[in-house]
Amino acid sequence: MVVEKNYALTAVIYIFLAVVFAFFIGPILWLILSAFNPNASPAFTLPSHFSLVNFKKLLVPVGNVIPLQWILNSLIISLASASIATGVSILSAYVFARYTFKGQGAMLTTFVILRLVPPIVIALPIMILYKWWHLIDTYTGVILVLSALILPFALLVAESFFRSLPVEYEEAAMVDGCSRFGAFLRITLHLAIPGITTIWLLSFVTAWSQFVIPLMILRNPALMPGTVGLSYFFGEYGRVDFGRLSAFSVLFSLPVVIIFLAVQRYLRRGIAGLVSR
Amino acid sequence: MERGREKTKVFDGSNTSTGRLASSSFLDTLASFFEGRGAFLFLVPALILIGIFVVFPVVWDVYVSLTNASLVGPSARHYSFVGFYNYVRLFRDFLFINSLKVSFAFTVLSALIGQAFLGLALAMISRMEGIRGKMIVTTIVFIAWVIPGVVSGYAWSAVTAQQGLIASILSLFGYKVKYALYFTHPFWVIVIANIWRGTAFSMILFTAALEGIPRYIYEAAEVDGATPWQRFRHVILPLISQAILVDFILITIWTFGVFALPYMILGPGGGRGNAGQIWTLYIYFKAIDNFDIALAAAASNVMFVIVLALIIAYLWSMKHFRRW
Repeated sequence: MVVEKNYALTAVIYIFLAVVFAFFIGPILWLILSAFNPNASPAFTLPSHFSLVNFKKLLVPVGNVIPLQWILNSLIISLASASIATGVSILSAYVFARYTFKGQGAMLTTFVILRLVPPIVIALPIMILYKWWHLIDTYTGVILVLSALILPFALLVAESFFRSLPVEYEEAAMVDGCSRFGAFLRITLHLAIPGITTIWLLSFVTAWSQFVIPLMILRNPALMPGTVGLSYFFGEYGRVDFGRLSAFSVLFSLPVVIIFLAVQRYLRRGIAGLVSR
Repeated sequence: MERGREKTKVFDGSNTSTGRLASSSFLDTLASFFEGRGAFLFLVPALILIGIFVVFPVVWDVYVSLTNASLVGPSARHYSFVGFYNYVRLFRDFLFINSLKVSFAFTVLSALIGQAFLGLALAMISRMEGIRGKMIVTTIVFIAWVIPGVVSGYAWSAVTAQQGLIASILSLFGYKVKYALYFTHPFWVIVIANIWRGTAFSMILFTAALEGIPRYIYEAAEVDGATPWQRFRHVILPLISQAILVDFILITIWTFGVFALPYMILGPGGGRGNAGQIWTLYIYFKAIDNFDIALAAAASNVMFVIVLALIIAYLWSMKHFRRW
């Protein structure tokens, strides 16, 4: 589409883009400005001077937990959940991609549905069950349920990825005397390393952003991940320290934004795959 | 052949210098064990994990909804079977009916109208030549999508505060904001915030769909003298109808499940007069604030059935109405 002749339309498009840009950058810009503002408030103002005092406050305990601990907790929970989900999904995805068996289609459809189930539908019964299983306020509990939640997504992506790798390489390896599993391990898995890395990274950021499940099963502030920590912080009675909250938010969002910008290309390709069938 | 030699090097088991293959004898034992139908054992970890932590809880939820379970008090430990009593209570609960209405309006306005329209407009613009700065805009839209919902909720509660960014913009037009906007207009604040959060998905999906349309189709329409609107309505729209349906399915379901954003802006009550209490907030409110787990479970099941019905209805329409 070439618009250079239509000046009125071009002008309208630029005005529209400017408004959209302002709308989307507004809250992000406020977040960044207030993180560096020693006297931060909801007002949208430039700081009198840029300072790191808000970031230093993240080392000062809230109750008896230092806020930085929450980011560390997020790291532990997300690393473990992403690794479990990716590892388990690779094994199953291999079987789904390379074998045909009864109920395969039905199982894949079930995974598609499970992938779309809102987390709160799982969070509520998990909270009740965890009371009995003594998994309330444990990392094991959070990590297991988050791995299970991410698994359908990781499995579907891994399955389509393995399917896109030609089976001929494996067959050639088998002709050369390799076992079927050995061929998968030595050929397909090596070819799949970029794809597996992407799945792991996307699982990691999904776990990192999870809120309602850890909110309902972690009550001990020392164990909370960053998402729950931020809401705990924000819900405290008394005056809200916007500077400290913004500094925390910026620090907490940074890994997610970096990872997403890095895997953007794969993500776009994945979304494009939804329509090009 | 170069490639062939590499392979034999890999399989004679002598090449342990790479480190990766150091444990090959153990792996070979494992390999012979999993040969043939043994490979189906690979499905077991996934099925156990999903079975215990996703499928079983969802089924367990149905059982809980048929009891008088509570989070605290005597019926927290010893509860009894009460049949469909919770479902009767649920549909008599004004707040539940309210949350259904709010969720419906929230989804239609923020996802199907807001995100889809804005996403389509941005996708169309990013396909145009000679427009500068579109990359910056689409990147910012993308970042708004990926930052954690809790953080966006916090940012939006500040932006819509009494002295926040939106209030200062309104005051430029002579409109004085006396109270926080999330207090006076809770529903509209979460609608706008959710458009902000979710537009990127529709934008990326529609961009991909538009990229799939061959250039000569646009040119043919242009040569035939179609106006920009006619080209959009009769050429582009029919060609991306499948993408629109896929988009509608996914953003509807995701918007139904939104929790962190409204929770941070409005709290579980959903703001003044429960005007922004969508069903996820209602479930949390009933379970945690009112300790009424059984009612929350019933509400969760009703909504799960609605989400399932949505998935099936859309899948069906995708099959039968490829073109509008």
